[in-house]
Amino acid sequence: MIFQSVPVDLELAIPGNWTLLMILLVVSFLMHIVFANLTIAGAFYAVWNEIRGMVKNNPVYDQLASQSATMTSIFKSIAVVLGVAPLLLVSVLYTQYIYPATIFIGEAWLNLLWILIVAFLLLYLYKFSWNRLKNKGLHLTIGLIGTMMLLIVPLIFIVAVVSMLYPDKWAGAEGFFHSLFYYPQIWQRYFHFILASFAVTGLVMYFWNKRKLTQRTKLHAVDGKDEVAATTENVKEDVKVYEAGKSFGMQAAFWTTALQLVIGPLVLFSLDREVRLLYLGDDVFLTSLLSISTLLSVVLIGMLFMLMKTEAKKWLLSSLTTLVLVIGLMGWMRHEVRESYIDPHRAENPPTIEQQPIQIGDMMIE
Amino acid sequence: MDYPVIEFSLLGNGMVIGLVAFIHVLISHGVAIGGTAMMVSLEYRAYKTNNKRLDQFARTLSKWVLIVTTTAGAITGVGIWFTTMVITPASIGSLLRIFFWAWFAEWIVFVTEVSLLLLYYYTWDKWKGAKKNIHLRVGYALVGFSWLTAAIITGVLAAKLTPGLWTETLSFWNAFFNPTYVPSLLFRTFIAILLAVSFISIIVKMRVKDNALQQEVFGVFGKWMVVTIPSLLIFGVWYLFKIPEQAYDQVIWSTGMEPLVFTTINILGLAVLIIYALWAIKLPKKVPVILVFIVWAASIGFVGEFEMVRESVRKPYVIYDYLYANGIPASKAEEFSEEGFLENWTFATVDEVTEETKYEAGRILYEAQCLACHSIDGWRSRRAFADRVAGWGEDSLADYIETMHISRPFMPPFVGTEEEREALAHYITSEVDQANGEVAKGGDEQ
Repeated sequence: MIFQSVPVDLELAIPGNWTLLMILLVVSFLMHIVFANLTIAGAFYAVWNEIRGMVKNNPVYDQLASQSATMTSIFKSIAVVLGVAPLLLVSVLYTQYIYPATIFIGEAWLNLLWILIVAFLLLYLYKFSWNRLKNKGLHLTIGLIGTMMLLIVPLIFIVAVVSMLYPDKWAGAEGFFHSLFYYPQIWQRYFHFILASFAVTGLVMYFWNKRKLTQRTKLHAVDGKDEVAATTENVKEDVKVYEAGKSFGMQAAFWTTALQLVIGPLVLFSLDREVRLLYLGDDVFLTSLLSISTLLSVVLIGMLFMLMKTEAKKWLLSSLTTLVLVIGLMGWMRHEVRESYIDPHRAENPPTIEQQPIQIGDMMIE
Repeated sequence: MDYPVIEFSLLGNGMVIGLVAFIHVLISHGVAIGGTAMMVSLEYRAYKTNNKRLDQFARTLSKWVLIVTTTAGAITGVGIWFTTMVITPASIGSLLRIFFWAWFAEWIVFVTEVSLLLLYYYTWDKWKGAKKNIHLRVGYALVGFSWLTAAIITGVLAAKLTPGLWTETLSFWNAFFNPTYVPSLLFRTFIAILLAVSFISIIVKMRVKDNALQQEVFGVFGKWMVVTIPSLLIFGVWYLFKIPEQAYDQVIWSTGMEPLVFTTINILGLAVLIIYALWAIKLPKKVPVILVFIVWAASIGFVGEFEMVRESVRKPYVIYDYLYANGIPASKAEEFSEEGFLENWTFATVDEVTEETKYEAGRILYEAQCLACHSIDGWRSRRAFADRVAGWGEDSLADYIETMHISRPFMPPFVGTEEEREALAHYITSEVDQANGEVAKGGDEQ
């Protein structure tokens, strides 16, 4: 097919200050993606720990898995509603790019709907049937299918947001599966995202279980003497679960963040040469962004290591703060990459920023 | 216009949007708005009468409200957007530009609504006794915020048919508070209650064995229906008086029914609702199962009718007076007809009609201008060309296309040169002949 690739923008102007809307896009996307991280890795950890519990015949892991499944069912609801704003903003600001990109993978794009509905329903079933369903194998299968379906979701979104960067390649694209290997960056970005999900969720798991542990032991210390033996037994059980959650979350956060040192550069090298070089010296601002975030990631790994060794509160707080900073910088860079790709096209196909007179009915509206 | 085109031939493009939207309307109105209101009013009643079993029933409802709204409800909501984005990108794109800030506000309301719902569900067992009051307040806030989601999106939906002063001012507020805004919002509010009552009545009849509990629930529902039925009538009529004349004339036609059938069915539907309300108040112990199912069917029928009429009577526009249903701005029609449509369309693979390119040019024109509502073949015979123009011949079809927007006012005009119009007729007739030929052949083989 031969066509001039980027559509003419709509007649109606983009309704707001360009910079403000761009900032809202980056911020709202980050809010959404953190909950998407927690949902996907949460579901994965639930299944993983349920398997560990079955293999080692240890109920502690099973309860830890159940904790992840409950958290996931809450996070996923928030992830979905938080996603409305970034989708709205990207549609309004990048109309000429995101619409063709989704239309080219239209079938996969609409398949997202039933994939998400079925996956979410399965994960509810997984959570609500935890203690009721006696057939553990069946229970695990429900969670496993739900999780596998969730793992497909980011792939479809990534194809959409990557293919919108390559209008020159649109003519050669042949649907979703073809696009998976046709456009650069896709798998690198996918694994970058999945690893980030594991890391963020790991740290949140550590944080959550540490808090619970403190609360539980305090409670127990206050009225422990009067409690009946059974309750003491319960507290002991809970403490075991929280300890396991802390240790699992910490290990997961540390190792997956460390692995990003391999995947991160792969993402960088999947970018077109001209864009990559912007981050490697050609553009002072972008180079600083990349350097600072790389440096902070290394610092984060160090902090996580110290946290593993000492379990000191100061390392937890500093790790969390650094993680938030790194996530913020990554979101910002992701936006800058998109801008670097789209800028040249924008010059030729300008978006409608100022409202020009338009005709409605028989009237010309100034 | 000016976007690539995708065809969902199995259902037809319009049906894909319609299906997702219809499921969403049932859930958003019946569960998120109405269901939440019923759940909280049952909890309130349980609290006031100190009825533990009713409280437990409301709690069970809250679990299902949570599950349904955060899965199929939320995803089909985003789904309307996903489907329109790929099927009618120019329409949804333009609507987003007009109503961006309404949607942005909607986002904040959504996030609050879901947070409140999670809080409401997960604190049911924790906030008991003295704290029950706080739980109820979370419930009231939840009802308020779920209604607010409708109060915002109704501005957008109503403006598609009656943009009002917006067409003169391009002002957001004029578009949002358009002539049908208030009647649609009020009508939708009571539709939501009607749906919720009918859904939950079935659950009560099928799952609740306790007769006293059944009586309690139907008692509450009967009261709600006494307010709902007259409100539906009043706001429905008010709405009809506010829509454009051309649209008003299309109301019965758009349902595909004969006027007598239309009137009879609607009166019967209304009668069923009245019977239900009276029964629930007078004999809440003995509401018949069959009645509950008929009310359920009637309420879904009313919702389907309202949405179908609203979406159909705005034709030929998707944004009245501004954008045609196929995404072409009305203002561009003349310009493109002079210069040629293909010339102006970014994703055209040919830009002029010659003997060699005639078929391909026709295909592009078909995809760009017809596909939003029509298909070559398919199960919706009113929309499928294989049924509508079978045996017409290229020339008569080309002549018809030239004036179809006059003889059929709900059709947008064809936009393009004479050669392009002929190319479109050529493409449609060849495809229709092929489709019908294959059917005939298939029939012979059998």
